[in-house]
Amino acid sequence: MEKNIDKTSYDALVIGAGIAGGEAALNLANTGYKVLLVDKELSVGGKMIMLSKVFPTLDCSACITTPKVSEISRHSNITIFTGAQASNIRKIGEKEFTARINKQPRYVHIEDCTSCQLCEEACPVSVSDQYQYGLIGRKAAFIPFSICSPKAAAIDIENCTLCGACERACPTNCIDFTMEPEIIDIKVKTVVLATGFKLFDPLDIPRYGYGKFKNVITAMQMEREIAPTRPFNTILRPKDGKVPDKIAYVLCVGSRDASVGNPICSQICCMYSIKQAQLLMGALPMADVTIYYINIRSFGKGFEEFYQQAKGMGVNFVKGKIGRITEKENGNLILRYEDINSGKLQEEEHDMVILSTGVLPNEGISELFEGDTLGLDKFNFIGQSDALAGPSRTSIDGVFVAGTASGPMDIPDSILSAGSASSEAISYLIQHS
Amino acid sequence: MEVEKGKTAKYLREKLGGVPEQAKHNLKEFNSIKKLMLEALKEEDLTVIQLSEKLNMPTDKVFYYLMSLVKYGFVKTGDIDDMDEYYTYKLNE
Repeated sequence: MEKNIDKTSYDALVIGAGIAGGEAALNLANTGYKVLLVDKELSVGGKMIMLSKVFPTLDCSACITTPKVSEISRHSNITIFTGAQASNIRKIGEKEFTARINKQPRYVHIEDCTSCQLCEEACPVSVSDQYQYGLIGRKAAFIPFSICSPKAAAIDIENCTLCGACERACPTNCIDFTMEPEIIDIKVKTVVLATGFKLFDPLDIPRYGYGKFKNVITAMQMEREIAPTRPFNTILRPKDGKVPDKIAYVLCVGSRDASVGNPICSQICCMYSIKQAQLLMGALPMADVTIYYINIRSFGKGFEEFYQQAKGMGVNFVKGKIGRITEKENGNLILRYEDINSGKLQEEEHDMVILSTGVLPNEGISELFEGDTLGLDKFNFIGQSDALAGPSRTSIDGVFVAGTASGPMDIPDSILSAGSASSEAISYLIQHS
Repeated sequence: MEVEKGKTAKYLREKLGGVPEQAKHNLKEFNSIKKLMLEALKEEDLTVIQLSEKLNMPTDKVFYYLMSLVKYGFVKTGDIDDMDEYYTYKLNE
């Protein structure tokens, strides 16, 4: 049975607690507004908290994200709901929105959990760890990842055998299987959409062999392998645990490709691949790294220098379009490609291939709204009603968009966009107070 | 219904009428692979490929479960071979 909890009021509802949502929430909260920050995941921090380093500065991503996440989590004007989704957002009159928050039970009382991990140790179940992108297992009673916030255990109820081992091991009795889904009806004055993006699923291009050939992985999986909170002791290929020494990147996988329905450039794939190539050359000094590209789009501040730096370090850049990838018996991979400069077909052997997947819009955002229609652009990102004069305004007055929910962009641009959205939201709140 | 703190799993098990079959199957599979791997590593330190041959199991499956056992503290990483390609793995005793 779901419990229906009484209505609560906030000044702003921010949907999505990634770097853009978090920044927008902080700006609003620091100005004195009460914010409800909602995220479907078990932790705030979005995708950025899972990254190794950022380009082009090679600063540690977690070192930037965690203080911000900590500030968000401790801010007296911000209420955070993780494992929760907003729906039924409806504008009532000129000054108010109502919304419904569906909060899934974590089966752990966060405030009592000391994150001692004794539940994790006691849990007999092992399932694929979604926070390590399936590279390794995790328990059904688990801390999502080491720098998650809130730093508290959660129970994966779908895979739990309800043996009670976690409860018996818990020194604070914070595990509670009687928790139920909650429906919380709220009233807010403005809404900021920071729902982020999703990555292209390379299973949709079978000729690259992802899923079939285990040494073909995604850049996000490699991101985990090179992060400080990585799953293995070093870089290893998933087919057989070999330390790779001839690594290939394939750019524009599922972006700039009308045949898979995504004709636009993802804006980040070139640079995150170049970043990873540099980090790999540091982690594996003897490794050869080759990047197969159509065009290198080094358009941002410091990007061209970053690209030249990678070349200087010895990263091999090949202007080539990959036709298909096949696997040899030893797990090595043969890349068949068209050398764009010579127009000839070539083949090259690598022992690991990383697919730099493109950015896609998250689906179902417009369905969150009732009454008014949230406009989308032709690529299904949230439409900006005036991309030049008011880039965070949407088709609904009082609803603003922040970060990659409006289109592909890198981290600094996401933070800028969040600044724009929060400024517009603050201005709206002042005008409608 | 009064539920005793610290014993709530029983409450949910009764409410759901048991444990989902898939969860039971996953646990059974993990336990049997864990047992096989730990027994094989009792005899000697092994690489993923050696363990795969010994257990007659695909290398990628061995790698996934072996790395999980390293994470859970049952197994630890040993030395790398002379070609700097493959690590051996040993029991964490």
